[in-house]
Amino acid sequence: MRILIAEDEPHLSRQLASALTDAGYAVDCALDGERADFLGATESYDAVVLDLGLPKMDGLTILRRWRDAGLSMPVLVLTARDSWHEKVRGIDGGADDYVAKPFQMEEVLARLRALIRRASGQVSPELRAGAVVLDPRNARVTRDGVVVKLTSHEFRVLSYLMHHRGRVVPQSELTEHIYAQDFDRDSNTVEVFIARLRRKLGASFIETVRGLGYRIEADR
Amino acid sequence: MKSFRTRLLIGSIIFAGGLLAVFHAASLAFFRRYPYSFVMRIDHAHILFVAVILIIIGVAQMRRGLSPFDELRARLAGVRDGRERRLEGRYPSEVQPLVNDLNALLDHRDEAVRRALGKAGDLAHGLKTPVAVLMHEADRTDAAGQHDVATEMRTQLDRMRRQLDYHLAHARAAASGAPLGARSSVAESANALARTLLRLHADRGLSMHVNVVTDHTVRVQREDLDEMLGNLLDNACKWAKSRVRITSSIDGANILITIDDDGAGLDPTMRDAVLQRGVRADEAAPGSGFGLAIVRDLADLYGGSIALEQSDAGGVRAVLRLPRNRVSQADSDRGMSL
Repeated sequence: MRILIAEDEPHLSRQLASALTDAGYAVDCALDGERADFLGATESYDAVVLDLGLPKMDGLTILRRWRDAGLSMPVLVLTARDSWHEKVRGIDGGADDYVAKPFQMEEVLARLRALIRRASGQVSPELRAGAVVLDPRNARVTRDGVVVKLTSHEFRVLSYLMHHRGRVVPQSELTEHIYAQDFDRDSNTVEVFIARLRRKLGASFIETVRGLGYRIEADR
Repeated sequence: MKSFRTRLLIGSIIFAGGLLAVFHAASLAFFRRYPYSFVMRIDHAHILFVAVILIIIGVAQMRRGLSPFDELRARLAGVRDGRERRLEGRYPSEVQPLVNDLNALLDHRDEAVRRALGKAGDLAHGLKTPVAVLMHEADRTDAAGQHDVATEMRTQLDRMRRQLDYHLAHARAAASGAPLGARSSVAESANALARTLLRLHADRGLSMHVNVVTDHTVRVQREDLDEMLGNLLDNACKWAKSRVRITSSIDGANILITIDDDGAGLDPTMRDAVLQRGVRADEAAPGSGFGLAIVRDLADLYGGSIALEQSDAGGVRAVLRLPRNRVSQADSDRGMSL
């Protein structure tokens, strides 16, 4: 799961980035509107945290441009302007949720989890596939009730496949959603992560669909 | 000598007196020069008739000359009531400069209000991001083991946050409280908020029923109507089990907006308390607890009111009373008098 943070206050941006990284997400930061617009339009994100008062290009304009271009990733608007009139404008502009500054970090995390869950069509907060349960609330994975220790990249691969279980996820898509933008990607490592996950969760847990990608069965 | 009309009348009588004296002298000289001319043969009744007609026309012209002041008064009343933002219409050249100056004054006032609003907003909004940064620093301090420092920081920051929220809302209300030309459609506001709230409470699976008459308009600025309805509807959504309903009706010079939810309801003893500043029915519910207090203050500002009752749907019924905008009726009245 990969998230874009568009916030112009560097300190707040760092705090958000570190909290989201701790929660198991790959995080990109944009400190101005043009950069946010560019990243959102060219990279694949599972959610965006968007400050409305960005320099160079304001958040609402960016949001409208994304929605006009058919980009449907969930957007959590983060703003000091929290009157109801502004909220209506934000939601009508294509935002999915609204958090007013100053905010509790837990609230932002909880709302992001809910947005990502809804966007991938999941109903319950816990993701379950057979004996494996992934709880995004504490970034914890259990197998038959026993906690499985995963590295952050392994967790992201598993989390993405679990959110889209039942569907074949191409390796390129997986790569797009587990690395931050500045990270040196190497598509081989996805295979490495998959191999390690199979070792920890069972060899048949992640299925390879030759030529297409990976899949976790929806109901087992 | 108080009335403008009397002054003009006296002025024109004195003027006519002077004119009469000149004419009298001229006619005496005329008769001395041409005695027994045709003038002597004019019937006195005819002269009297012409005189009466001229006097009537003169008085009517004077009344007509003063009518722009009546119209100006009606237009000013329109501005005060919020039907119009500026003084419209064309006036005689003596009155037009006055109207222009009044319009300039109105524009200046609007601009000053907007600037003050902007400044207060910028100040409060500008402080929110630093407060957010410090709040997360407090979390870090806590994680580093300095619990008492973190607790004190959080307490103070929470107070700052509440002060910002409260005074920002009130500065906005006070600044926009001069409802020059304010009128808003209840239906537009209610529909936009219903859309927004359904999105914000998407997890709850609520249904929202908007039964608002399309031409119900209130003399309230749109931002403030949104703020009042937004807070009330948000509360209803927080407490509702599955349904929220908003309806409107006319009650004399007011519009009644009723918001019902089917939640657990509110103890009657709590109803007045939650309308007070910063009191919350449940400390665990999200929000700063100022929502209802802000609704009350905004309603007061516009000469309306807010009351909480028992809903027939099971939960709370909030009844918001706001002054009705009778713009269509007022327009037709004026149309007839012109």
